[in-house]
Amino acid sequence: MSTLKIENLNKTYSNGVKALDNVSIEISNGMFGLLGPNGAGKSSLMRTLATLQEADSGTAYLDDINILENPEELRRVLGYLPQEFGVYPRITAEQLLDHMCVLKGFTQKKERKEMVHYLLNKVNLFEKKNKSVQGFSGGMKQRVGIAQALIGNPKLIIVDEPTAGLDPGERNRFYNLLAEVGQDVIVILSTHIVDDVRELCTNMAIMNLGNIVFKGAPQTAIDELKGKVYQKIILRGELEEYGANYPIISNKMVGGQPLIHVFSENNPGNGFEHVAPNLEDVFFSKINTGNVIV
Amino acid sequence: MFKTFFFTELKYALKQPMVYIFMFIMALLTFSATCSDSVQIGGSVGNVLKNAPFVITIFTTILTLLSLLIAAAFFNNAALRDYNNNFNEILFSTPLSKSGYYFGRFSGALILSTLPLIGVFIGIILGSFVAPLMGWEDADRFGNFYLATFVNNYFLFILPNMFIAGTIIFSMAMAWKSTVISFVGAMGLIVAYLVSGTLMSDIDNETIGALSDVFGIRAYALETKYFTPIEKNTLSPGYDGLLFVNRLIWMAVGAVVLFGSYLRFTFSEKNKKVKESKKNEAKFVAPSVIPSFTPSFNGGVAWAQFKSFFFTNFVSIRKSITFKILFVFSGILLISSLWGGFKYFGLQSYPLTYEIIGAINGSTLMFIIIILVFFSGELIWRDRENKINEVIDATPHGSIISLMAKSLSLVAIASLLNWFFILCGIVYQLAHGFTRIELDVYFFDFLFSNLPLYFVWSGVMIMIQVLINNKYLGYFTSILILFLWSILLSMLDISSNMLQIGAGPSIRYSDISGFGPGVLGAFWFNTYWSLFAIICLMLAGALWNRGSSSSLGERIKYMKKQVPKSFRMAISGVFALWVGVASFVFYNTQILNDYKNSDAQELLLADYEKKFKKYENVDLPKITDIKYFIDIFPKDRDVHVKAIIKLTNESGNPIDSLHYNYSDNWVPEFDIPNSELIMDDTYFGYCIFKLAKALQPGETIEIELRSKYITQGFQNGTGNTSILENGTFINNMAILPTLGYNAGVEIGDKNTRKKYDLAPKKRTADLEVNCGKNCGVNYLTNGHSDYIHAETVISTSSDQIAVAPGSLIKQWTENDRNFYHYKVDHISQNFYSFISARFEVKTRKWNGVEIEIYYDKKHDVNIDMMLDAVERSLKYYSENFGPYYHKQCRVIEFPRYATFAQAFPGTMPYSEAFGFVANLEDESDNNVIDAVIAHEMAHQWWAHQVVGADMQGGTMMSESFAEYSSLMTMKNMTDDPMKMREFIKYDHDRYLRGRGGERIKELPLYKVENQQYIHYGKGSVILYALQDYIGEDNVNKAMRTFLDEFKYRKPPYPTSLDFLRHLDPVVPDSMKYLVKEWFTEITLYDNRLIEATYTELDNGKFEVKLVVETTKIKADSLSNETKVPMNDWIDIGLFADSDEKDLMYQKRVKFDQPQMEFTIMVDSLPAKAGIDPRHLLIDRIYGDNIKMLKEKE
Repeated sequence: MSTLKIENLNKTYSNGVKALDNVSIEISNGMFGLLGPNGAGKSSLMRTLATLQEADSGTAYLDDINILENPEELRRVLGYLPQEFGVYPRITAEQLLDHMCVLKGFTQKKERKEMVHYLLNKVNLFEKKNKSVQGFSGGMKQRVGIAQALIGNPKLIIVDEPTAGLDPGERNRFYNLLAEVGQDVIVILSTHIVDDVRELCTNMAIMNLGNIVFKGAPQTAIDELKGKVYQKIILRGELEEYGANYPIISNKMVGGQPLIHVFSENNPGNGFEHVAPNLEDVFFSKINTGNVIV
Repeated sequence: MFKTFFFTELKYALKQPMVYIFMFIMALLTFSATCSDSVQIGGSVGNVLKNAPFVITIFTTILTLLSLLIAAAFFNNAALRDYNNNFNEILFSTPLSKSGYYFGRFSGALILSTLPLIGVFIGIILGSFVAPLMGWEDADRFGNFYLATFVNNYFLFILPNMFIAGTIIFSMAMAWKSTVISFVGAMGLIVAYLVSGTLMSDIDNETIGALSDVFGIRAYALETKYFTPIEKNTLSPGYDGLLFVNRLIWMAVGAVVLFGSYLRFTFSEKNKKVKESKKNEAKFVAPSVIPSFTPSFNGGVAWAQFKSFFFTNFVSIRKSITFKILFVFSGILLISSLWGGFKYFGLQSYPLTYEIIGAINGSTLMFIIIILVFFSGELIWRDRENKINEVIDATPHGSIISLMAKSLSLVAIASLLNWFFILCGIVYQLAHGFTRIELDVYFFDFLFSNLPLYFVWSGVMIMIQVLINNKYLGYFTSILILFLWSILLSMLDISSNMLQIGAGPSIRYSDISGFGPGVLGAFWFNTYWSLFAIICLMLAGALWNRGSSSSLGERIKYMKKQVPKSFRMAISGVFALWVGVASFVFYNTQILNDYKNSDAQELLLADYEKKFKKYENVDLPKITDIKYFIDIFPKDRDVHVKAIIKLTNESGNPIDSLHYNYSDNWVPEFDIPNSELIMDDTYFGYCIFKLAKALQPGETIEIELRSKYITQGFQNGTGNTSILENGTFINNMAILPTLGYNAGVEIGDKNTRKKYDLAPKKRTADLEVNCGKNCGVNYLTNGHSDYIHAETVISTSSDQIAVAPGSLIKQWTENDRNFYHYKVDHISQNFYSFISARFEVKTRKWNGVEIEIYYDKKHDVNIDMMLDAVERSLKYYSENFGPYYHKQCRVIEFPRYATFAQAFPGTMPYSEAFGFVANLEDESDNNVIDAVIAHEMAHQWWAHQVVGADMQGGTMMSESFAEYSSLMTMKNMTDDPMKMREFIKYDHDRYLRGRGGERIKELPLYKVENQQYIHYGKGSVILYALQDYIGEDNVNKAMRTFLDEFKYRKPPYPTSLDFLRHLDPVVPDSMKYLVKEWFTEITLYDNRLIEATYTELDNGKFEVKLVVETTKIKADSLSNETKVPMNDWIDIGLFADSDEKDLMYQKRVKFDQPQMEFTIMVDSLPAKAGIDPRHLLIDRIYGDNIKMLKEKE
């Protein structure tokens, strides 16, 4: 059982943007979802945990490894798949994974071969092992990226927006794989696809503007909203008026007309009807505290 | 539409800084070249003004070459901007005119790429005004500007060259849509230029070389080859001749390329290749269990990671297109340089391993450096550009491991290339049937010269890329450091190799001496620089931008975290080691073997002159007898010298003090009886001994001088290349202190003299008619002695033979050393060589004279030929000039650290580099061995039996006569006038080229001031022509009677006037004009055949009609030329064949009109006709003298 413990992590970029604002969180084994809009600080947090970025202050420990002071130690137990995963030109999938295996400390050629074959098999690329990775489609490249993140026995796996560009089948396979390994290790999954988190994660956090605005189990969050979300289909021209009068959580188009969700302790009437909250409502209610029409 | 694109292209670029930056760089380059002599572009010498049209043109042409890379940027940008910004699909869907877009963009880029070169003019013009104003250069080194220089340069070089290069770059960019390919195109053009250069290296191919040069630079070089300083100062390049033809040809080629590419160009996107993605039919294999291996992080992992990094980097370079193209370019360059073989005077040398190494380094090193620069950036930025950096950075590996692997993969690629080229060289050697392939030489040269260079540069460049943290700025900085750093150092007059990145003593392989004296120094400098490179890499490893990019400041802040403790210890360890090695190198090169850089050296000479010139005319005794005792210790490279010298007062006044000069490197000891050292300036090496009792006229004393050369440690440079482990070659001038003030070391250059406030100095004393005291000194021994007796006891190690002039009287061994006692059989000038090496000896006897060749055992091929050459010379000279007075003729091989042959009494050291290794299997070639040996043998008469007084014309009686004598032995041997023409062609060329580079003034032969192009080039040519006009016997007779009068005679020494006095009686009155015009004036001809036609007559004979134009030109000392009326005898002739081998008809006719016609009847049809068919006269342009015959219409 591992524990990742982050305390008072701060990071301000040289352009003045506060990417991490006193972030504290504790994560243990299992899948952990990190939700947040673009620019919320998810990637900064992930990069900091992946030893790729320095924090201005605060601490981060994986069990007894001081991540910020002793990055080398952490890298030995880390699997990392960044948001953008590119590959070397003129190199085959097998060569690339083999290279990564060596970098992760596997010196025996035979062991590496077995591991690479296992992983390629896992991500359904075994047939393509001798093809240049450069020619792979986006989804195939992403699968190579997943394979490399699983090399060895990482205690901490960080995946940043992993399913972008995957077709539904691939996405399912990927999550199965992740769920399989996620039982015994910490997997941090950063995404802005709310469904991913709901399906996979036992715990989650929502980040906005460098702050953690929620942490806990997804279901707990949904339960908190139970009976407090109402929806209504309105006319396009009325959007502004509704915005001024109701705490709108979200609005989206349904059949060409806006469907708004509002947060309310009581039924606001006026044609609003009650809906069962979903994680998306949680997400928007957490980050859209100003109730701005987005 | 054209206008729109043209002007937007200009406007766009003029808003960017690039144009201005490049223009500024160009201006800065030429400005500093104009203002200072330490920055040189092409360069101007002597009488050529610093802003001469010729100099401006050279600057322009060289810098157009450099600005190709700038042009590539502009053209590439014009072609690809829309594609790179993904704007093409939007733009091309609008109704554009194709030609307007295409040619508008092209023309815009063309004008832009010429703009930076305007900076060349700005720099020169500014420099010419600022330099005299600031006192950096004398005002008289600048002349007028001519508008035509700038206009013509723009329209002959700048615009056409940018056009031609532009068409190619633009077309390539359009075709491949790749920036890299565009730059490769620019590089390809530079390669083409270099290749055409190898064509031009021999006279025979000059015209082809000139026309095949894309940029017209060589065409201009050929046109101006014989330009005199006046012409260089006044003539701008013009729209005629070879240059113009070249321009037209290449402009046409450019236009064709551009138009072809225009036709190919289309707005519609070419069908993108869509790879058919195979359907993934693989059944999903049930996941097995994750293999549970545990990673290990012991020492082994670093090595495994290193190997894996190394492999991926290496593969990525090897498979890259840029690499392949650069590889092909360098291969082409190497092949073209090997193709020409190794020529000296039209003669091939055997493809020796060191020659191949020279060719490889000469043609490929530049490319390897480019590969290192380019791929250092590629490798550093590869992860980031491919967006895999975060994944890699998050793995547990040390940054230093990855950087080491990057640097070593660069080194490996460079080495691989190097060895591939070596393989090509070996194949070339074998293909030429040459089997002495020295793999060890290839290997050690690689190990000592190239490998460290690769490593140091890759380390330094990787550090630059890491620190600068921007790929293109990194490239820019690397190139700046590669080129400007050394220029900066030379401007600051710093010559220490400890500051010149990757530098060290150069090593040069010789078959005799191996890698020579530089090896030890090279080893230490290589160690020093390699450690430096490791430090660079370690620093780069510590500051490596791991993870998200951060500024250098931040990286320094977090450095500690990224660097493990063990690594910190390693850094300090390596640093400590480096400091240790640096101190050792510093101690050796700056303290133990101190040297002076060029400014300090100049200052020393200037101060020496100021301080001691007053002693120039003090009376000194002469050496009248000398015994040398020389001990050579080859292993230690030490020499101990002792000389017992008899000094006689021949001055007519009592002498009360002896002045001595000694050099830095030799430690002298003086044993002068009854004397007192009253002054000893060790800084300048000048001392004065006061004699207790003055030496009266006619009186003689005996003194002893000792001198030691001790080799210690190693030097900043290669070190002494005359005292070697094998092949020591020293002469008596260098090893002993010399009497009196040495005027020979005074600064000669008038501008340098001015800088140090020294009065102008005459190069040589004026020729005097009735010569008194000034004829007491000859130019060989400078008045220190005349013809004297000398003997030598010389010893060396037991495996070597030591040779000094004279007969070997006694030979013995003592203390396991070989001793030899030589005595010169006849009085001679005190001018001796001492040589020691592991020699083979081959001898032959001719009329009581022992002919001996001392040679290295690897060089036995040409020895018999050398014996023949010596014998032939002995025979011809004895018969024609008089007896030979020594009992032996020795030709002794010495290492190729110098390329010359020199004549000492009966002894002729001859460099390994030319002759011993020449391939003479094809005997129809000119034979440089015969020529050089005959020349040196002739010096046994002309220099050693008679030597000119030390004044104008003095060298005519030795060098011109020796060269003439040599030609005569050739003439008697070949008996083929056309072969002789081949041979004297080089002498003609030497003269005409030489006068163009004259620094002070050209003089007629009889007043030659030791100017080589005059006494060798012109002297031999006119003496050869003279014997053709008045007869060989007559010229030889004049030379013999002259020799008889002055042979071994005490001073006064003869002058050139004495020879002319002997020449006069043998010249018939009708030919007297030749002596006047050729010897005492500067006369040139410009003859040409205007028309040559034939008609077949009814009787089967042929009537040939020639129209000939002749011009005679006289030049004054500043090369102002005036045409003079012609009234001369010149040959006309007909060749049976077009190869001009068979001169079937010739007749000497008098030309008294500028244009004349001749009709000649011949039995068979000639192929060619010519004026002066044997090239006797000095003709400014000989190429137009001969023409193919045409049938008359």
